[in-house]
Formats: sequence, structure tokens, C-alpha cells
Amino acid sequence: MSGTEAASDADADATVEPERESYVGRSVRRVEDYDILTGRAEYVHDITPPDCLHMALVRSVHAHARIESVDTERAEAHPDCAFVLTAEDVRAEYNPMPSGLVGFEEWSLAGDVARFAGEPIAAVFATDRYAAEDVADLVAVDYEPLEPVVDAMDAREDGTVIHPDVGTNVPDAERFEFGDPDGAFADADRVVEGEYSWGRISGVPLETAGVVAEYDPDEDAFDIDCNIQLHTLVDDTVYETLGYPPEKVRLNVPADVGGSFGTKIAIHRYCCLAAMASQQLGGRPVKFVEDRLENLQGGDMHSTERDYRVRLAVDDDGRFRGLDVWFVDDFGAYPRYPVNQVLKPLSVLTNAYAIDDVVYEYELAITNKTCQTAYRGFGVPAHLYALETIVDEAARELGIDPTELRRRNLIPPDELPYRLPSNNLYDSGDFPAALDRIVEIVDREERVPGGLLDPEVVARRREEGYRRAVSPSIHIEPGVSGSDWTDRQRSDRDELPDRSRDDVAELPEHLRGRIREDGSVEAFLATDTSGQGHRTLVAQLLADELGVHPDDVSVSYLDSVEAPTEYGTAASRMAVMLSGAAKGLGEQLTGNLRQLAAAAWDADVDEVRYRDGAVVHDGTGDELTLAELAAEDADRTAAGEEPLTAASYDYQHPATGIEAFDDALRQKYPVYPTAAFAANAPIVEVDEATGEVEILSLYTLRDCGTRLNPMIVDGQAMGGLAQGVGAALYEEFGYADDGQPQAVTLFDYLLPSVTNMPDVELYHQETPSPFTATGAKGTGEGGMIDGPASIASSINAALADLDVVTDTIPATAHRVRRWIREAEAGAAEVDGDGPGATDGDETTGD
Amino acid sequence: MRTGTTGPSGDRPTESIALALNGETVRAEVEPRLKLSDFLREECDLRGVRVGCEHGVCGACTVLLDGRVVKSCLVYAVQADGREVETVEGLADDGHLHPVQAAFHEAHALQCGFCTSGFVMSAVELLRENDDPSREEVKTALADNICRCTGYHNIYDAVEQAADALSTGETRADGGVLDCSAPGGCDCAGPAVDGPPAGYPTGAGSASGGSTAGGDAAADPGDPARGDRSTPGDDAEGR
Repeated sequence: MSGTEAASDADADATVEPERESYVGRSVRRVEDYDILTGRAEYVHDITPPDCLHMALVRSVHAHARIESVDTERAEAHPDCAFVLTAEDVRAEYNPMPSGLVGFEEWSLAGDVARFAGEPIAAVFATDRYAAEDVADLVAVDYEPLEPVVDAMDAREDGTVIHPDVGTNVPDAERFEFGDPDGAFADADRVVEGEYSWGRISGVPLETAGVVAEYDPDEDAFDIDCNIQLHTLVDDTVYETLGYPPEKVRLNVPADVGGSFGTKIAIHRYCCLAAMASQQLGGRPVKFVEDRLENLQGGDMHSTERDYRVRLAVDDDGRFRGLDVWFVDDFGAYPRYPVNQVLKPLSVLTNAYAIDDVVYEYELAITNKTCQTAYRGFGVPAHLYALETIVDEAARELGIDPTELRRRNLIPPDELPYRLPSNNLYDSGDFPAALDRIVEIVDREERVPGGLLDPEVVARRREEGYRRAVSPSIHIEPGVSGSDWTDRQRSDRDELPDRSRDDVAELPEHLRGRIREDGSVEAFLATDTSGQGHRTLVAQLLADELGVHPDDVSVSYLDSVEAPTEYGTAASRMAVMLSGAAKGLGEQLTGNLRQLAAAAWDADVDEVRYRDGAVVHDGTGDELTLAELAAEDADRTAAGEEPLTAASYDYQHPATGIEAFDDALRQKYPVYPTAAFAANAPIVEVDEATGEVEILSLYTLRDCGTRLNPMIVDGQAMGGLAQGVGAALYEEFGYADDGQPQAVTLFDYLLPSVTNMPDVELYHQETPSPFTATGAKGTGEGGMIDGPASIASSINAALADLDVVTDTIPATAHRVRRWIREAEAGAAEVDGDGPGATDGDETTGD
Repeated sequence: MRTGTTGPSGDRPTESIALALNGETVRAEVEPRLKLSDFLREECDLRGVRVGCEHGVCGACTVLLDGRVVKSCLVYAVQADGREVETVEGLADDGHLHPVQAAFHEAHALQCGFCTSGFVMSAVELLRENDDPSREEVKTALADNICRCTGYHNIYDAVEQAADALSTGETRADGGVLDCSAPGGCDCAGPAVDGPPAGYPTGAGSASGGSTAGGDAAADPGDPARGDRSTPGDDAEGR
């Protein structure tokens, strides 16, 4: 799939076609850049219609409290106050917001009870945001504090039930059993157990949520500009709340969104409130930009927070016999659509290991914290971390080198495509070779005189109080999620075993295109983008399909009314889905254009060929360019005929055409037909005194099949790894015992920055997918999926002789320091002296 | 914050300010509490000044105040009275990108772009003072800007590439903008009069004109990760 050199033939023979250079596979620079660099790019924060009002929110100061009264009198009396919206107003005219689980009722403004610190209680509107905040300060709320539930393990006890109507703080749970785990665990030589915690983090994109809503009283319809992610999938979270049919609520997402990483999927509350206000005000536009404090505290966008109990059944020779994963996930106060974040790990259930007998069990807990949304990886980063940590513990118990233990259990290459116990398939890849290769790379580059792992250097650093180590590991990144399985938790699960393949309703990827008057191509995406470069990608794809230059292809976006419902940009889908859609659209359009030309020449369709932006008549040699064809079509459409220069295509999800996925599809198990993978070797150095972990260099060998734009793919990997570093070491939304959020500024929530982003040595290889048209695999979540697990494993290697394991993520300095001190104190008690002498070795390698 | 649009509430006094903004004088009546970031965005329509945190950490709002980087969310508009402010909108010249902007494009140093204006201004300040910064010096200059998308390494590369472009002396007499067709500059075809340069991929269906901007036929760097790190056999199909 990589570009081929153009081989033009100087003596051009009409029947010999020079091979055209392919844009796909090349690092084409991005079309998005110019406007962004010059400041012209319009993000939703930049949209301010004249006469627009600005919203500010009054938010609960308590994690759990009865709202006794909301007094808006002083606020309404403020001269700059245009309007106030209360929970009563919302309840009188509108509906609750759709929930991720049946049985929950969540209103846009909390009425009787506030269930997390930061939950909006009232909304005020003024001519500018400064005044709106003045007005918001004048709203007086009387609370009766209630007992907050701040820990998922406590929540499970159902001491204080946060939603009495639901009756429990664990509204959803499921246990999956594959093979014969009881037998495997009974039969194995030993069982290794561990308890691990994955802290509450989130995407925290640089741009916060934003909306400009305008109600049209004449049309009785809404026009909403917002930066919601998946606007053509989750528009129901807005129109159902407003009580309108979808065609009356138009969600427009600008071409430029300042990052999302999944978190903006659930910003519907803001869209709803702004739209409601606009309607109440007779159509005046209403704008809201979430500020950073709101975003961090109560922005409806925290993610996975889990306590794991993992058991690994293993034989003394190192063979993994069985796996038992149990966890509780703290979903905050209300379960939103991304509830299936607890299920995605089924698609990579055993990571790169061959284990047939597995238990996977989760409990979804409600607490008085900010609600959960999706974040890059969608629950998989935590799962891989837990699995790789138990593997490290098993290595210690068995006395086997951790890398060797991993190697012994990797799925052999001749078993790909490999069917997991959970029925998803890994499409292609040689995992043992990749692990060997990263080991070899690190040995060659760093385990040499003067290298980071030069044994003399390591020993000297050890004497100075720094423990340097590396633990290579390999991780699978599942890609291209199907859509049908995602509502498993809202389905009747008892009926799933009887479901037929015909009941599976996968959403295709929709792509539209047309030839403009000047012969250029205009394409339309039915989803949204937040920095991934889709416009560039589609320009490359269609340039190849239509034989034109990427500059001749412009790409824009359909709104939620124009576009059909589709899944869209999430779950590492778009490289594969867009390439399939572009191929289909190209075929559709070129077929149409041949028809058009044939008609114009009064010739047979078989006599004409499409080539490089024109249709050629084989017999006469006549040619019609795209511009000329557009003119032809204009005549036709003027006469009332359907245009042939416009077309659309719906690309079916690749798994739907592959029988091997039928079981997973039928039973609503997560279906991810591509398995990108990464072999990582982060070289870490742990400061024994402070507990600080420095990543000296992060070696990574990455494979996502065919790279449609290598530059963009590698950019995604680097960004994902940065998030992985942040997750592993720095980021955390802590909560105090009373439910008060602790990380409400960026001083508290530490994003990876120039000062702590490590050097990355990025190597790549391409093992094409047999399941996709181009061989590309989904890759958008890579780095975040594999980074934390591999960093934790390297820390484990550094602290192996203390028998310390990274049992909590993030492995912040204070935690690491405590682990070291406790281990040393424990050893002192046992031995009567200090920790045992070390041999200054980083313990792992080949 | 618009003058004249707030109601006559009486307790929103304003002050007069006058400043040089991207080379032009701007006068306005502003509330003392109005942030410079909001003033630039809302009053001066300079949307390239992005606001990411309003508490001085992320650096998206970075502008130059009398030639020094500041976080405009931590500066009040009244503090800019009588001073000189430069934003990203003032960098490009006749549609030509400033070498820093061009280098960011070339090095894929932006993804969502929300942090980009801030990084560009920080880089501009650095390169005005230091035309050959080391990697460490680049990192120090950029340490006050946060990016959530790129992982930073392409940004370092971009700044170093811009430094090369500027220090090879291929700048115009006014020291402003590189001739776009020069090596190390941007990869568009040449000067343009209005809007983006010809051949600059904008997605707006500009005339193809045989430019290489989108196709980067000559400039494909192969492994955009560490070029000297890829071993033979990388990029090949299979393993």
C-alpha cells in the first residue's frame, strides 16, 4: 500500500497507463494546518452571534445534598441578568436526559438532590460571561448535606443508596465465564493473586466543551453549534431531552475541535440547557463555554476508576493456565452512554497471551462523584495494566525472568487470526517476534558502554540511590469497534444467546461526495474530528480513488440532520472505515461519471474509461474532464434529472462480512476486527529517596498494519504515549472523604508537559490486516492503551528486589516512596537489618 | 464586555486604553477586570488567541507583550495600555507563513491545534533572541506551554527547523518572512497575494496548479519518527 514511483513512459502509448503515484501511504501534510496556524480556524468558542447571551451555571458545592431551596431573586434583580433557568423550569417543559442504563432519571439541572460536587443546579444568562458569573454568584442555594459515598468499594455495601428509585449503588454487573476456569485453577500448580487500583483520570483536552444554541420560533427547530463528539450518534441525548424529533434539532460540529479523546461524547447537558434557554427567550442565541475549573471538577467528563482483584493460574514451568479478573468501576453519580467501557476489555481479554479459561466479572458502581465519560482506550488501559502486573507478580513467585515468562505464553504467529475466548478475533501479527525485536533493539542501543543500561552505569546509579530498569512487554490495541454490541447493558441479556445473526444491526460509515463546477471534489463526513486529520486522510484517499491531487479535494462535515445516524470517530475506527467508504464512494462516482460521459457521447458505457480525473472514450480518444462532466450534469439536473456527479456510499463494518465474527456479533460481545500492537520497553529510573520515576527513554515498536499517512499515525502514537505517561505517573482526580474534588486546576491535575515528557524511540513495522481493504488497522488509541501497563512493568522491574509491585496507578512519587519505605521497613523487621544487598542489575533483559 | 452592550448598571466602570496590536494602534474602553485574552478575542476579533484554562497553566493564550511572552489570561487589558502586543495573526505576511508557522506544518507539530498559537508565539520569542537554540534551550522556552495531542517531540523538531530556516539567512530584508520556495521553509509553490499561498492545501478546492504542497513528493521524510532509528526492513510489508 505504500506509494509507488510514477513510471511515465516517454513514448506515451494510449493503451499503456503510467502508474500513478499513490497518496495513501505517504506523509501528506495536513490541509487543516494553514487555518489553525494563522489563527483563522474557528472552534466553537469563537462563535458569538450578535445579540448572543452567555450562560453561567450554579453548581452544587456538596457531593451529596438535598436541595432545600434555590433563591434566584437577587440574581434576577441584577441589571445584567437576562434570564434564569431553574430545575423546575426544566422539569415543566422538557425531559430527563437519556441514560446509559435503564431506570435512571437525570435532569439537566438537579432538582431535589445534588449528587456530585459541581452538578449544575441553576443556569443564568447575561450579555457577557463576566456578568453572567456575577449573576450566578447571587443565586442562593440552601442545602441539607447528605452522607456522601466516595469510594466504589463502600458504594457496593449499599449503606447510603444514591438513587433510591434504582435501589442499589451497583445497577449493572455481569460475569463472563469462558472455557473451564474452575478446572484450570484447580489443576494449575499455583495461583497468584493481586489487588490493583487504577485511578480516576480523563482526557482533559485543551479546549473545553462549548455550545451556541439558537431556537427558531418560525420553524420550531433548534440550531446548535457545539463540539460534542459523535454528534450523529448521540444527538438523541439532545433531541430527546428537548422533546423534539431528530430532524428538528440540528447539531453542527465545527471542522476544528480542540481535542476530545472521547470526553466530549457526553457534553449534551450544556447543549440542552443552552437550547432550552434560547427557546424560552424566543430564539435569542445562547452561548456557553465551560471554563477549566468547571471542566475538571464537574464537567461530566471523568473516566475509568477501578479496583481490581486478579488471579492468574500458572504452572511452575511458567504456562498460564487460567485468568480471573474481577473489578468494580466507579462511574460517578449517573451512568452515561459510555457504560460499555467496562466491556471493551473483552476484545483483548488475554492481551497477547494464549489463555483459554477465563473469568471476567465487573460491577458498575454509583458514587457521589463526577459522571464517567469515555477516554481513549475505553477501559482497556486499566485492564492491560492489571493483567501485566499479575504477570510480573507471577514471574517473581516462579523465579522466572518476566520477559521470558511473557514470551512463553504469547500467542504463536501461526495461530493468527486468533479467536479469543470472548469471540473477538486478533487479525494478524507475530507477537513473539515483536517482543524479541524490542529486546534486541534495546540491547543494541542501550545495553552497551555508555548506554542507558550499561551495567557499570546502572550499578553506579544504584549506589547513588537510583534504580534503573526496563521491562519489555507487548500489548494489543483493538481497533474498529462495531456499533451493535455497544448497547449490551441496555438489552435483555438473557435473550442474547438466542439472537440470530440477522438481528445484528451494524451502522455503516457514510461518505458523500460531489464534483463541483470547477472540477474539484467536495466530500462530506458524517461524523466529527478533533485533531486526527480526517480531512487530510480523506483528501488522500479520494485523490487516489479519483486520480486527482489532494489539493483538489475539499472535505467538510454534515450536521446531525443531514447525516444518517452512524458510529463515527471513536474506538480507533476511522482509518479503516474512511478508507472503505472512500473506496466505495470512488467506485460509485467513477461509475456515474462513465455513465454521464457515455450518454454525452452517445456511446456505450463499456467504451469509456475513467482515468486520472477524466473520462476517456477508448474508441475516439475524446476526453471529458471533471469540470466538463460537471457542466454536462448541470444541464441534466436543470432538466430535472438526478445528478450523476454526486454520490454517497455506506461502507459496511468489516466484521459483518466475516463469518468468524458472527458469534461475537450475535451475542453482543465487543467486536474489534483489527489488532494493532506495540512492544514497549520504557527505561525507568526510580529515585529511592523521593519516589520519583523518570522515564529515561521509552522504546516502542508499533504495528498498526498499513499506515495510510505515516506522519499522522506516528503523531497519534506520540500523543497517545504522552497520555500514557501522564496516566502512569502524574494524572489523578482525587477526592476527599467528603466527596470534594481535589484536582480542580491544572496545578493539581498534572498534564504531561515538556518537563516530564520522555524521549521516545519510535520504531514501526507493518503487518497488514487481512480483514480490511487497505490492510490498515485502527490505531487512534495506541500509546494510551499500552503506555501505562508497560511503564508500570518497568517500575516493577526496578523495585523487584524489594518485592514491590505498582499496585496503584498513578505511581506518583509519594506512593512509590511509601512502597519503598514500607518494603525496606518490612525487610528490616524480617532480617534485622537493611534491605538485602543488590547486584545493581536491572533484572530484566533477554 | 462589549462597550455599549451591557446595560446601564452603573457599577461597571471602564478605562480607556490604547495599545499597538500587531503593528496597528487600537483604542478601547474596557472594564479593569477584563482579561487581555478576552479583550483580544472578543473586542479585537483575534480568535487565534485561545483560552484553555484561565489560570495561567496551559499557555494556549500566550502572546507577546513588548516582545516578551505572557499568558494573556493572567494579564488585564488595562495592563497593556501603552504597550505592544503581538499575536499569531500578526505573523504571516501576505499569505506567507512565518518560518515558525511553516515549520510547524512541515513537522506535523499540531493535531487539534488549540495549543498551537501559544507554542508559535513562545517559539517566536525564543528565535528572536537565540537563532541557534539547543534542544534543551528549545524545551526550556516551551516548558510553559501544554499540548495534549502531539507528545511534544514534533514541536521541538519544528522549532529547530524554523531556527535552521531563519539562520541560513534566507529571510527577506525586513527579517520577517522566508521565501516559501527556499529549502527548509514551507513546501508550497510560491508567493501568493491573498489568502493561503497557491498550492497550499487548504481543503478549499484551490486550483491544483501542479504544486507539490499536498503531495510532498520531494519532501517525504520517510520515517517521521527518529529517522536514524528505523532499521532496514522498517516500512516493509509484513515483518
